[in-house]
Amino acid sequence: MTRERFIDLVRTEQEPLRRFLLGLCSGNASLADDIAQDALVRAYVASGSFLGLSKFSTWLFRIAYNCFIDHCRKSTLDTVSSESFEVQSVLSDDSTDDAFRYQQLYQALDRIPEKERAAIVLHYFEDHDIKEISSIMQIPSGTVKYLLSTGRNHLKDFLSL
Amino acid sequence: MNGKDNIEEFLREHKPQVKDDPTFLLETQRRMKQVEGIKAEVDRQRSHGRITLIVTLIIGIVIGAVATFIGYICPFSPDKENAGIFASVLLFMTTWKQFFFILLAALSVSLSLLLSRTRTQ
Repeated sequence: MTRERFIDLVRTEQEPLRRFLLGLCSGNASLADDIAQDALVRAYVASGSFLGLSKFSTWLFRIAYNCFIDHCRKSTLDTVSSESFEVQSVLSDDSTDDAFRYQQLYQALDRIPEKERAAIVLHYFEDHDIKEISSIMQIPSGTVKYLLSTGRNHLKDFLSL
Repeated sequence: MNGKDNIEEFLREHKPQVKDDPTFLLETQRRMKQVEGIKAEVDRQRSHGRITLIVTLIIGIVIGAVATFIGYICPFSPDKENAGIFASVLLFMTTWKQFFFILLAALSVSLSLLLSRTRTQ
């Protein structure tokens, strides 16, 4: 696959991909974009192995998720999370109350395990169904349902809804 | 059930907002170009190393074959009195031919390995 062709394909997927990673990185936009770029480069290098058995977006999200997991293994996100809430508050164009809600959400997302966070972000922010999430995270559908359930419960506790 | 609906509603209403960044794809393309450059260089060096290895191996075989040919075609009578430098070399090769060929082969392999390693670094 040529670079131009790959960039064309990525152009439509970049926003969902960045949003997915922004959720995973608990609102840290610069880290999310860095991982997104890393994921895109990896995807480009491996583009010859994309056989079209799954959707291009699913394949791309799987690579991005693996990049995020690699990043988590290398370093803990605890050190950057405090910075991330500031970033998101600046990004929000809505009312102060809404900005506060985003802060709360990112703080809560940061406190739940990465797998629960990934399942929640993919399902509620990216509108992926259980089967797609299962394919992206490479886990059984039952585990995805379990992660969504426990993730929701954890978030409910942290968000006091 | 109500709690589940609340949290689902909250999450759907608060999707992360991605800031529009025109430099994102440019930076991605820049990284891709870098990776392409590294990949091309690695491929070039690998191919160069392979060619060097084959050429050195062929040279080694040719030299070995020539040496063997000379050793067998020109039988040497050990008349040291009349021997010139060429004859001395032939005498040496005839006397120590097994040792000489092994040494030549070892040198050839070492040289090819050394050259291919140096090129790929």
